[in-house]
Amino acid sequence: MKKRNLLVLLSLMLIVGLLSACGTPADTVEEPADAAVEEVVEDTTEEDTSADSEEETAPVSLKIYLLDYTPDTIAWLNSEINPAFEAAHPGTTVQITEGSWSGWDITFSGFFAAGAGPDIINLGSEMNTLYGESLADMDVYLGEGAWDDINNFGPALENAKYEGKLRGLPIFTAPRYVFCRTDLIEASGWASGTPQNFADWVEFGAQASVIDEVTNSLSQQALVPVDAGSMADWQWWLLVYYSLGGELYKNDGSPNFDSAEALATTEFMLDMRQAIYGSALDAVGSLPTGQGSVIDVNDETSKDNGAVCLAHSGWAAPPFDRPIWENVSIDPFYGDPENFPNSRPVVLAFNDWLAVPDYSENKELAADWLKMAFSKEANHKWNETMGLIPARNDAQFGYVIESPQLAREAELAAEYGVGFAGIMESAKLSTIMQEALGKLVTEELTPQDVVEKIQEDYIAALAE
Amino acid sequence: MLSNPYINALLTVLGAVIFIVTTSLGLGYTARWIAKIRGAKARVQEGAFAGYLFAAPWIIGFFIFVLIPLCFSLYWSFTDYRVISNEPANWIGLQNYSKLLLDDDGFRQSVVNTTYLTVLGLPLQIGVALLLAVLLNQKLKGERVFRMAFYLPVILGFNTAVLLCWRLMLNTGTGIINQIIRGLSNLFPPFGYLNRSGIFIQELSSAFFLGISNSNFTLLRKVWEVGFPSEVRVPLWVQSPLWSKMPVVLLMIWGCGTMMLIFLAGLNNIPKELNEAAEVDGATKWKQFWKISFPLLSPYIFYNLVVGMINALQIFEPIFILYRDNQPLVPSAISMVYYLWQASFSHFEIGYGSAISWIILIIILIITYIQFKMQDRWVTYDLY
Repeated sequence: MKKRNLLVLLSLMLIVGLLSACGTPADTVEEPADAAVEEVVEDTTEEDTSADSEEETAPVSLKIYLLDYTPDTIAWLNSEINPAFEAAHPGTTVQITEGSWSGWDITFSGFFAAGAGPDIINLGSEMNTLYGESLADMDVYLGEGAWDDINNFGPALENAKYEGKLRGLPIFTAPRYVFCRTDLIEASGWASGTPQNFADWVEFGAQASVIDEVTNSLSQQALVPVDAGSMADWQWWLLVYYSLGGELYKNDGSPNFDSAEALATTEFMLDMRQAIYGSALDAVGSLPTGQGSVIDVNDETSKDNGAVCLAHSGWAAPPFDRPIWENVSIDPFYGDPENFPNSRPVVLAFNDWLAVPDYSENKELAADWLKMAFSKEANHKWNETMGLIPARNDAQFGYVIESPQLAREAELAAEYGVGFAGIMESAKLSTIMQEALGKLVTEELTPQDVVEKIQEDYIAALAE
Repeated sequence: MLSNPYINALLTVLGAVIFIVTTSLGLGYTARWIAKIRGAKARVQEGAFAGYLFAAPWIIGFFIFVLIPLCFSLYWSFTDYRVISNEPANWIGLQNYSKLLLDDDGFRQSVVNTTYLTVLGLPLQIGVALLLAVLLNQKLKGERVFRMAFYLPVILGFNTAVLLCWRLMLNTGTGIINQIIRGLSNLFPPFGYLNRSGIFIQELSSAFFLGISNSNFTLLRKVWEVGFPSEVRVPLWVQSPLWSKMPVVLLMIWGCGTMMLIFLAGLNNIPKELNEAAEVDGATKWKQFWKISFPLLSPYIFYNLVVGMINALQIFEPIFILYRDNQPLVPSAISMVYYLWQASFSHFEIGYGSAISWIILIIILIITYIQFKMQDRWVTYDLY
C-alpha cells in the first residue's frame, strides 16, 4: 500500500514538474524607458521581420556571464535591455549569470575545455591575447561594414580585438591616474605639486612620508601604487615603463626587458620603495588598514587615511560626492623627461569588455544583444550605474561632463590613455615579473638582475 | 530542438536518474550473472544482485567523478594540453615530468615552501591542538563553550570576512597581534628581547629557505650582516617576503579544531584508573601526562600526523586567500598545490598541471608510506 502511494506521489510530482516547465516564463516585458533602447528595438525588429519565421518560433536562451557588476547595473539590464531584446526576438530569453573576478579563471577554463557555456562572457583588458584563439570573429556582425556605430568607440576597442578582428565590445575605460591630496602635499613642504620626474618622486617619497615612532610604521605614505605594501606590482611597473616611452616588444617581436627604460623603471621602483619604507631589512610597517579610499578622510576620527598620492584606478579613489575632492588633483604619470626624452604622460587604461566565445551557437543573437546594450544611450546608462567612463566616445555626456572629476578623467584618458592590452602570455608574464620584483623588494636581486631575469624567463615562456 | 531552460533542467535530472537506475540495474544483473557462472546458489546470486544494486550509485559515482578524471589526468600529464588553445593535445612523453624535476625553479620553490610550512606548521598545529584538548579535558566550567569556540574556525573556513579579520589583525602598525607584542615588550623588557630574537631567527630561517628556493643566499648574508633587530622592530606579517609564510602557519594553527576534537576523544578513552593508580603512587600531573596519557594517545597523534601531513602537503587555501590580491608576496609563500593551480588555471597548462598533481601524489604516497612503516617504533596500541 505504502509502495503504491509513494509511486502515485512520485508520478504526481513528475507531472506537476513537467507542466510547470512547459509554461512560458512570466511575461515581464516592460515598455523600455530609454529612448535609445526603443530606437534599437525598432531597428532590430525591422531586421527580424525579414528573418526566417522558423527562427522566430524556435525558443533560444541567450546566456550572458557578467563579473562583479553593481546591483544597479544588473537591475537595469534585467528591467530594460533584456525585456526589450526579448520583445524584439520572440522566443528568445536572456539569462544573466553573475560571477566574480575571484575565481573567474577556473570558471572560464571550464567553459573553454567543455566547448560549452555562456554566449557572451565578461573579460578584462589583457585577456584578448589570452583567450583570443577561442573567441569568435565578430567582424561580420559588429565590424565597420555591419554596424556603423562601431566608429563611435574610443581606443578601448583595441582591447576587444585579437589578430585585428573584433571579438566583442568594450563597456568602459578605467584608467589608472595619479590622485594627489594637494593639502597634504603643501603640508609636507613640497611646493611644486604632483612630481613630474623620477628624481622629484623619490625626493617627494622621502619628504612626504611620515613614520609613527610608536608603532614604527607609516602613518602617511607619499605614494600608494597598486599593492601599497610592496610597491612592486607588475601593473605599476608597466605604467612607469610606458611613461618612459618603453615598448614591451622589439620590432622582431622579442621582449624588450633588456632596454634602458626597463632598467630605469626597475631602479625607480626600488628607489621609491626605499624612500618610503627604508631598506628591506629594516623596513617600517605599512599604513593601517582602514575604511574607504586611502586618500580620503575617516569621518569618525577626522584623520587622514594616510596616502598623499594614489596611483590607481578611479574605483580606489573616494566617491565623487565626498568633500575631500576639493583637495584632490588628478594627473597622469609623467615619466622622466629629463633622462628619457621619449617620456610621455601616461594613464594606463584598463577596461571590461564582453566577448563572444567561438563555441557559441548564437553568435548572431549575441551580436544583436551587444548592439542593443552598447548603443549610445545604453552604454551611457550602463556606465552611469557604475560611475565609470563609457567606452563609446559619443556616450560620454551627461554625468560624465557634469562631474568635474569624471570630466577630467575622461579628458586624460582620451589624451594620455595607453591600453593595458596586447600582452602576450600575460598570466605568465605576471608570474615572472612578480617573482623577480618580489626579490627586488627584498634587495635579493639588483635592478639589473631583475630585468635580466624577466627577459630570460619571458623569452622562455614565449618560446613554449 | 527544445531550448526552454526549465525543460532542459528537468530533462537533465530525469536523464541522470534514468542513467543511475539503469546502470545500477546493469551492475546488479552483471554481478548475479557472474555469480551464476561461478555456480553459486540462487540465494547467493540474489545476494550479489542486491548488494551490487545498492552499492552501484556509489561505484558509478566513483567511476565518473574519480577514476575517469584520474585516467584523463594521467594521460594529459604526458601531453602539452592547453585548455584555451584550439590545438589538440600532443603526446610529449615524459617532458612535463623531466621539466618539473630538473628545470623548473618555480616548482622547486614551491616544494621548499611546502616543506617549510609542513616542518614548522604541522608540529605547531598538533602541539596546540593537543594543548587545547588537555585543557578542555580538565572538565572546567564552560567546557562546551570553549570546545565550540576552538572548533568554530573549522566551520568558518577561510571566507572573505575571516580573511579581512586576519588582515586587520596582522597589520604591522595597528594590527592587534603586533599591538600585543608591542605592549608586552614595553611592559616586560625581557619579552621585547625575546621578540627581537624571534624576529631574527624567523628572518634568518626564512632567508635560508628562500635561498634554497632561489639557489642564491644573498638575502641570508644580508640578514646576518644587519644583525640583531632594533628595539622598534615588529613582525612584518603580510608585508615582507621574509614573513609571508608565517601568517600561513598562524592560519594552520587557527584551524586545528578537528585535531583537537580527535585528541579530546582520545583523552576521554583513557581509563581513569590508570591515572588514579599513578596518583596513589605519587606521580605528579606532569608525569602522569607524559608517562600515561601521551603514550596512550600515540595512535591519535599518529592519525593526526598522517592526515595533517597530507593536508599540509596540499596546502592551498590560506595562501590563496592571503596573497591572491597581493601578488608580490606569492612567490615567497607559494605551495605545491598553489603552483599546480597557477599552472592549470592561470596559465591554463592542463598537461603540465596534471604532471604536477601526479608528482604531488607520489610525494604524499612516499611520505605516508614511511610514516606507516615507522609507526611500529613509537605508536602503541596496547589499550586498544
